[in-house]
Order: sequence, then structure tokens, then C-alpha cells
Amino acid sequence: MDAVGGKRINIRHIIFILMALAVALPLIFKLGLPLRVTDEVRDVYGFIDSLPENSTVLISFDHDTSTLPEMVPLAEAILRHCFRNNIKVIGLALLAEGAAVGDDNLRRIAGEYHKEYGRDYLFLGFRPQFTVAILSMGEDIAREFPRDYRGVDIHNYPIMNNIKNYKDISAVISIADGDMPLYWINYAQARYGVKVIPEVTAVMATTMYPFLQSGQLVGLVAGLKGAAEYEKLLGKPGLASKGMDAQSTAHILIVLLIIVGNVVYFINRRKMRI
Amino acid sequence: MDIGITIAAILTLAIYSFLYKDNPFYKTAEHILLGVSVGYFVVITITNTLIPKLFIPIFIEGKLIYIIPGVLGLMMFLRFHRRSAQFSRIPLSIIIGVGAGAAIPAYMQAQLLAQIKATMLPLTNLSNIIIIAAVLTVLVFFYFSREHKGVMGFGAKAGIYFLMLFFGSTFGYTVMARVSLLIGRMQFLLHNWLGLIN
Amino acid sequence: MLRKLPLYICFVFGTFMLAQFFIPHPVSTALYKMVLDWVQIIYALSLLVGAAMLIKHHTLIASKPVAKDRQYSLIVLFGIFIMIITGLFFGRGNKTVFLWIFNNIQAPMQATMFSLLSFFVASAAYRGFRARNAQSVFLLGAAIIVMLGKVPIGDMITPYIPQSADWLLNVPSMAARRGIYIGIALGTIATSLRVILGIERTYLGGK
Repeated sequence: MDAVGGKRINIRHIIFILMALAVALPLIFKLGLPLRVTDEVRDVYGFIDSLPENSTVLISFDHDTSTLPEMVPLAEAILRHCFRNNIKVIGLALLAEGAAVGDDNLRRIAGEYHKEYGRDYLFLGFRPQFTVAILSMGEDIAREFPRDYRGVDIHNYPIMNNIKNYKDISAVISIADGDMPLYWINYAQARYGVKVIPEVTAVMATTMYPFLQSGQLVGLVAGLKGAAEYEKLLGKPGLASKGMDAQSTAHILIVLLIIVGNVVYFINRRKMRI
Repeated sequence: MDIGITIAAILTLAIYSFLYKDNPFYKTAEHILLGVSVGYFVVITITNTLIPKLFIPIFIEGKLIYIIPGVLGLMMFLRFHRRSAQFSRIPLSIIIGVGAGAAIPAYMQAQLLAQIKATMLPLTNLSNIIIIAAVLTVLVFFYFSREHKGVMGFGAKAGIYFLMLFFGSTFGYTVMARVSLLIGRMQFLLHNWLGLIN
Repeated sequence: MLRKLPLYICFVFGTFMLAQFFIPHPVSTALYKMVLDWVQIIYALSLLVGAAMLIKHHTLIASKPVAKDRQYSLIVLFGIFIMIITGLFFGRGNKTVFLWIFNNIQAPMQATMFSLLSFFVASAAYRGFRARNAQSVFLLGAAIIVMLGKVPIGDMITPYIPQSADWLLNVPSMAARRGIYIGIALGTIATSLRVILGIERTYLGGK
């Protein structure tokens, strides 16, 4: 509690209100700030664009629902790109909550492009032990996932006709709120040579850079900003693009809070010395 | 209005009420979340993994060999019985053994050799020199088998500064991530629930 | 013998996984696939142990009529019960009660819970981040550059901010993280060897 103007008010609550306003106001009154597309996002976009029609990618929903505001725009953008380019998608989840989210996202975005379940896309479901699941799919995907999320034998689906393991997959895209892309690198890429694309929360971005520089990752799409860049490349602005003004104002607020906090601290320290 | 959106909005506000102070609305929402999350997890694990990987092979396809991992898995439940709890170590040792055996070549290949190889850069520009210096000094900082004195001490100190740049960058990105989550929830409240924005 | 059995089992399975990587013979590969299947099943069942422990804990509290916060344990048990009944017996796909609860109760609450952190980060920014010494100046400087350089407004202030942020992320920050990764890799390899050889036994609850 800090004493301000003779009344004891809680600075924390003022900061909370400022934060809520910094995010809410730009959502209501748009600023339309221009967005720059970074090289790492462009690399991912270019890679997906370079894939021939009817290639198959594996999209793994490696996240919980706690990070949905970041994960859903990331998933929507990459799914739209794949379906627009007639790339087949096989989905799975290595975290439990990713299963329901992945199934929902795939169905919804596939519907926008009139794609057929089992022929253009498939959702395999959830496996809890991710190291084992990743290794096992390197041998035989149908052995690891004998049935899809709906409980149907996956041999019944035409999408699986020419798919045995990672050799038949153009890339693994891990939409993750943790370091799951690193497990894909360690167990799928190092051993089986499959390309890995991380679509991660902003928190995880810095952990991906060493693997980006070493060429172990195709590119990097990180956070709501990464999703907004991808939406810009796609020419289809969505949730992420709409949130970018608010992202800017909230960052400015936090930088100001750091500066003001330090100024107050140094003034108080000087007063104490005097 | 969609009743689901209204319920989601009420629960969202119940959780935000914690920002004022801990209260029964927040606690109720928190415990509803705990309950449904655990229930969801149990359902997905059973229907998505145990049914296709264990029950169907044994009961429909007649692959009786799968009884062995089934029994081993059930042995984990012996933890609830004090006298038999030690038997739960057997399935645990399989999981740990497999994990350790798989990790050695994977980490060697993907994280150790590949990352060292990527650090072997030509000393032709300042960035490359900084990369090599940072990797080496950070490794020196984490090397505790020798006292950080002299050259080692200087290296470790320089390592701290590079680590600070890494932690600072990560903090910057963490702010970004947390703000993004708030934007998502605000978009839900202002668009899906109140219809104030497009 | 019984006390040492887990150590022998761990050794056998660990050595097998290691050897299989270098000798992918058809026989060893067939065995390898079987082992992977087994581990997946054992692991899935072991996860249910955690859920069972939570249910046991809340059942104990809920069954005591005078227990403090008993109502909250009842809520937890009710949530688990509803999800299990709807999910196991009435389907999980589109337009099911299970998915409705997931989409309208679980997912929004979980996301909101984590979004609370944005408020606490803002509060911590004001109260906690002090440029007390050279190291914290480096930390704060990097944080501010990335915060401004990674959003559209940074570009508007000056293009040097996003350029600095990109350099920071691709050079010193990346290299420091790489140093940590190399250390983690060495530690993981050493610990895995110790586990396989039975030197590291803490996972069994011993010393």
C-alpha cells in the first residue's frame, strides 16, 4: 500500500486498471499500426508455399488450453495456408488438452476450404508419453495410432494410403506452449531426418533461436505477433492482426512502468541518503 | 445470446475478481476448473490411448501379449497399498530405463554435436566472435569443478552478462506472451460476449 | 533381490534402447516397437494414478461433514464426475456435452487463469525491476529492446529498435541459450548413464 494524496490506495490495483485499459481501448478504437514481417516467419511461409500439392504435413497440437489466445491464431494461420495450397494435414496431440482443441481447429478450418475428413485431413488424437510417441511414429504411424480420435481404424482413410512414417511426411509442425519442438528435433529430426517447424508461444521464442541458427529448424513463428505476421503473408487478417495495436500499447505501458518504478526508486534512495 | 458464451464470460469475470482479492467466486471457479480438467484428462487418456492401445488389442484382436503391459501399468496403483507399494517401482523402472536409453543418442546428436558444430563459425565478423565468446563464457560460468578465479573468473563474469542479455530477452518475450493472453480474453469479452468490437 | 529388481530392469531396457539405436536389425526393431507400445500403455495407466490420488484426497475431505472448504472438494468431485460420465458414455465429438463443457468452461477459465499473469507482470515491472547494478542494466536493457522491437510501435519509433532486437536475439541471447543447452545435453547424457548403470536411484525413492 502506498500513501497518495492523504488516502491509502493500492498502487497494484491502479496498475491493474491501467493494464486492462491499455489492452481494451486499442481493441475498441483501432490504431492500425503497420506490421513488419520477420525473416523467420517468412521462412516458414516460403517452405509451406514450396511444398507440392498433395504433400502431407503432420501438425502436432502440443499445448494446453491455458495459452489458447496465442495457440489458436497460430494454428488457424498455418492450417489455412496448408488447405489453401491443397496440402494434406494429419493432426495429433502430445498434450491432453491439445486433443479437443486440435480436433476442433482442424474441423473448423477444413470446413472453410471444403476439405473432406479422411481424404484431405485426419486427426489421430492424443498420446501421453511424447518421447515414445515421437519415436514410434518414426517406425510406423499406424502402429502408434491404430485408430483416430473418433475411434475408427486409420487404414480405412485414403489419406493414409501412402503414409507409413516420417519418410512420407514433408514436415512436422509443432504448435506448442512448451519446449515440445525440441523433442521433435531430438527424437524425430535427429533420428529420422524429418523437417521441424515450431509455432510456439512468445515465452518459448528465445529457446528456439539456437536451433534456428544451427539450421535444425525451418523457421520460427512465435506468439500472437508471429501469427499476425503469418496472417499478413496469407492476406487474411484474423484474431492476431486485430490484437497487434493492443500488444503495442501494453508493451509501452510496461516500459513506462519500469522507467517510473526506477525513477521513484532512485529518488527515494537519494532521499534516504540525505 | 449463446448461453455457453454467457457462462464462459461469468466464469472469466469470476477469475478476474482475484485481482481485487481472493474471494469465494474465484475459489469456486478455480475448483470447477480443477474438476473438469482432471475429468477431461481421465476421459481422453482412456478413450484415446488405453482403448486403442490396450483394450482393443486384448479383447477384440485377441493379442494376449498386451496383458503384460496392462498388468505392469496396473501395478502403479499398488502405490495406494503401503505393503505392496514397492512393486510399483517395476513399471516405473521400465519407463525410466527406456527414457534414459533413448535420451543418450538423441541429446548427443541433436543438442550436443549439432549445437557445437553450429558454433564453429569463421571469425570474420563481430557477431560470430560474440557467439563463440558467449557460448564459451556461459559454459565456463556453469563449470563448477574449478574455482572461478583468474581467466576462469573473468570468463564466468562475462558469461553472466551474456546470460543477463538472454534473460532480459526472454523477459521481453514473456511480457509479450502474457499480454497476448490478456488480449485473447479481452477479445472474447468485448467481441463474443458484449459485441462491442467486430 | 526384489529391491534390486527395478535396477536390473532399468539397466536391461536402457541398454536395449541404446543398442537399438546403433544396431537397427529387423529383430531388434520388432522388439523396439513392442517396447515402445508397452511404455505408452504403462505410462497412460500411471497417469491415472495421479487422477486417482486427487479423487481420493477430495473424497476424504468431502466425506467429513465438518471439514473446512468441504464445498470446494464437492465441486471438484462433481466436475470430475460430469466429465467422465459425459465423455465416456455420450461421446466427445462435435456437438457433445463433453465438448461443450470443454469449450465453455474449461478452456476459457484455463486461459483466463494464465492471463492474470499479465497484470502481475505489469505490477512487477513497476515494483521489482530495478537497475541496481551493471548486470541488471543489461537485463533491463535487453528486455526493453525486445519489448519494443517485437511490436509494431517499435518500428514506428525508429527502425533501429527492431534491428537491435533481432541482433540481440540472434547473437548474444541465442549464444547464451546455446551454452545452457550444451550444458543440459551433457547433464542429460551423464544422468541417463548413471540411471542405466544404477548409480542414480533417486527415481526409486532411495538415495
